[in-house]
Amino acid sequence: MKRVAFWMVTFVILFVFVFPISWVYLTSIKGKADIYTLEFSKQFIFSPTLYNFIHLFYKTPFFQEITSTFIVAVASTVLVMLVALPAAYSFARFNTGYGHLLFITISTRMFPAAVAAIPFFFAFKALGLLDTHFGLTMLYLYFNVSFAVFLLFGFFREIPVELEHAAMIDGYGQLAILRRIIFPLIKPGAAITAVFCLVFAWNEFLFAFLFTRLHAKPLSVGLSNFWATIEIQWGPMSAGAALAILPTLTAAWFMQRYIIRGLTFGAVKG
Amino acid sequence: MLGQGDEVRAETLPTELLGGKAFWETLTSERYFKWLLITPLLLVLAIFMFYPLFYCLYYSAHQFAMPRPPKFIGLDNFRAVLQDVNFWQALGRSFYLLVISIAVELILAMGIALLFNREFKAQNVIRGLCLLPLLISPLAMSMIWNYILHYDLGLANHVLATIGFSKVNWWTPKMALYTIAAMSIWQWTPFSIFVLLAGLRSLPKDAFEAAKVDGATPWYTFRRLTLPMLMPMIMIIILLRTMWLIRLFDPLYGTTHGGVGTETFDWMVYRVAFVFFDVGTGSTLAIISLFLTLIICALLFRVLMKSLGAAE
Repeated sequence: MKRVAFWMVTFVILFVFVFPISWVYLTSIKGKADIYTLEFSKQFIFSPTLYNFIHLFYKTPFFQEITSTFIVAVASTVLVMLVALPAAYSFARFNTGYGHLLFITISTRMFPAAVAAIPFFFAFKALGLLDTHFGLTMLYLYFNVSFAVFLLFGFFREIPVELEHAAMIDGYGQLAILRRIIFPLIKPGAAITAVFCLVFAWNEFLFAFLFTRLHAKPLSVGLSNFWATIEIQWGPMSAGAALAILPTLTAAWFMQRYIIRGLTFGAVKG
Repeated sequence: MLGQGDEVRAETLPTELLGGKAFWETLTSERYFKWLLITPLLLVLAIFMFYPLFYCLYYSAHQFAMPRPPKFIGLDNFRAVLQDVNFWQALGRSFYLLVISIAVELILAMGIALLFNREFKAQNVIRGLCLLPLLISPLAMSMIWNYILHYDLGLANHVLATIGFSKVNWWTPKMALYTIAAMSIWQWTPFSIFVLLAGLRSLPKDAFEAAKVDGATPWYTFRRLTLPMLMPMIMIIILLRTMWLIRLFDPLYGTTHGGVGTETFDWMVYRVAFVFFDVGTGSTLAIISLFLTLIICALLFRVLMKSLGAAE
């Protein structure tokens, strides 16, 4: 009896969390008539069509948008890792700045987006960086770096210092320690951090919306354009959303074990 | 380890002969190396933190509506904003949204975390599926909700009509803020669930066994043992969710565009600065937003540290 109750509640919970997502995919293969239907049964019983995807591919700059998203997400993640890896190591191993610097780094994450967005809008305008991949990449570097430093800080702290001491006694220099000892051990943590940065950059909307128009417009902004048209095109919009969330759903598989640690900046070991 | 001394000498000898190498050696000595490693981060912070902060403060002291050049007016912007009814309403809405979202999320998540805090069939798959809302682009999701909650076409009203209720208009001025809250609750409850689950799993088992032996009721155990020990986790959730909810923007963009009584503080900053191009007022609002966030987070951080100290 107790078990039946448990599974019923669990099923309801799963349904609430998963169903809206599956509805995206269901809507994306519906024809226009089945989307604009007033009959309840037709919401579930319909003949699937690829019309929405064809519309998305041929009538909207979908491929340009997804390329932009991909370029910016990957480039910003690489930059973030190049900056964050050495810094996090320095914080974790040498306690550089006695915690104050680390705190300042984390506090950038509390900044409201507008604080950065307003001044940078003018700076980018003057420098001709509006609507460029480079400009958006730099913004995402800002957006992700504090988070990455803190998450990596936690991973570096888990590497026992004794290993490094032992290596030093064996005559390794700082660089050799980094290359031979630290680098192999930090690889999994670095990979997790990178996946997080990729997902955050992939999903980011506000900066992209304010700083791009046509050329560097990423997927999130492209999706929002379906809103701006007079009649909302639910079909192609769902098709776009279905494809846009696919990579993050895949990433979820790799992040599962670390997601809570990632989102709480390493404060909770999930 | 007999050959150890020889090895060290073999490595240090050539560096004494080559000037360039000696420079490199100093640079990688611990004293300089730690700063060398951190230099890129300091550069990024200087550019992306102090530069915008400086300019935001600068603009906030100027009358600066886009086409015209900025004109210094001191604190007049702050005075005007504090006298603006819209500002207080938006702030009130943000705060209201904050309180109801976090309260509902915590209650739901606590229930689900307690339910999932056991071994059951396919537990990893089920927990994994519950994580999905966290990773989906909030913007894409808000547009989906807009469709599901559409008055005539949306699934929600179809279902309500089928089981005999009257249709609900989810976007009236009275309802809309709650609808937005519900969307945010749907997306972020999994976060609270998993933080609380992690907390539950790290609790010491013997205290609970002792309580059981003493014949404590489940409710008593929960109130006197589980809840106090989970306090740090709850504070972390409140702290982070506060930070995120103050910056609620995407769900509004996909649905109401700040209309029908849903203009939150962050949306107001966006509207003033980027729709009206009143940069002076926009910067003033941004500074106020930053200030409020820092105060709230500092307060919560204090409580968090206290509860962490109490838990240990």
